[in-house]
Amino acid sequence: MNIISVNTFWTIWLLVHLMLAVFLLGALTHQAVSAVMPVGKIAGPGGFVTRFRAVPAAGYATAVCVLWVLTFIVGSYIYTKYRIYIRIPIEQAGYWKTQGFFDFKEHVASICLMLLPAYWYFWKNAQNPEYDTARKAVTVYLAVACWFLFIVGHVLNNTRGFGS
Amino acid sequence: MSTPSVTTRAAPATSSLASSARFRTFAITFAIVGPVIYMLCLQMNWPLFTFHPATNRIALGWEAARSGEGPNMTWYGWTAMALLVGGVLSYLVTFLPESITKRIPLILVWLLPILAIPYLVYDLRQWWFHP
Repeated sequence: MNIISVNTFWTIWLLVHLMLAVFLLGALTHQAVSAVMPVGKIAGPGGFVTRFRAVPAAGYATAVCVLWVLTFIVGSYIYTKYRIYIRIPIEQAGYWKTQGFFDFKEHVASICLMLLPAYWYFWKNAQNPEYDTARKAVTVYLAVACWFLFIVGHVLNNTRGFGS
Repeated sequence: MSTPSVTTRAAPATSSLASSARFRTFAITFAIVGPVIYMLCLQMNWPLFTFHPATNRIALGWEAARSGEGPNMTWYGWTAMALLVGGVLSYLVTFLPESITKRIPLILVWLLPILAIPYLVYDLRQWWFHP
């Protein structure tokens, strides 16, 4: 029995991938800004930027790992349909750089996946100054990568995605 | 009026995993060797398996796209290979004495992924310069 159409089924998964990515992007951006520009004692209420970075960054680590893995799994699942129904038409239309950026995205996502255990460990031991530089660098790397993956995914969806 | 200060520092790790020296070794080694193995797989085209999405067929190692059966996908295989080999290697490193594993340079955890970017840009040059 078909409750929903095939198109609706895959669109739902694409939206799940998008929502997970939005949660991840928010968490990583807060955490990265907090790691690079930690808030000390504040005199007064503080502005938007101060409030943006005044988050308990260490508490985000496990959530970021779980969200990255979930986003990765859902992205991998919809990739099977992308390969046939999106990539082939993109190539036929001659959008070579767009396709190149998607390949770039898949490689960066895999590399970041392998950084997660170290990232998690550094944040769970954030009281140890030995890990300060590595913790900040890995967090900023993951945040920048997440923005890159998100923007590439967004552009690809505009090229040929939702509803096409 | 002053708001309470917020710090990025957590309380000392209490979970057994976060305070485990062996997990530390595994995580740091995995972050170093994983991306290197992934790029090696990419360069040499060594996927653990090839997936054919049109027919849902999986073949061990690399397999070319078959005529009339749609494209092949190797990214899953490269990722699986890097996770598997990186995981096994990192696990084996945890058996080394701590005096050795403590010397693994932490800088490699973030330097290698940064160095991977120019390599990936080069590896994908077929797309940037496609006529």
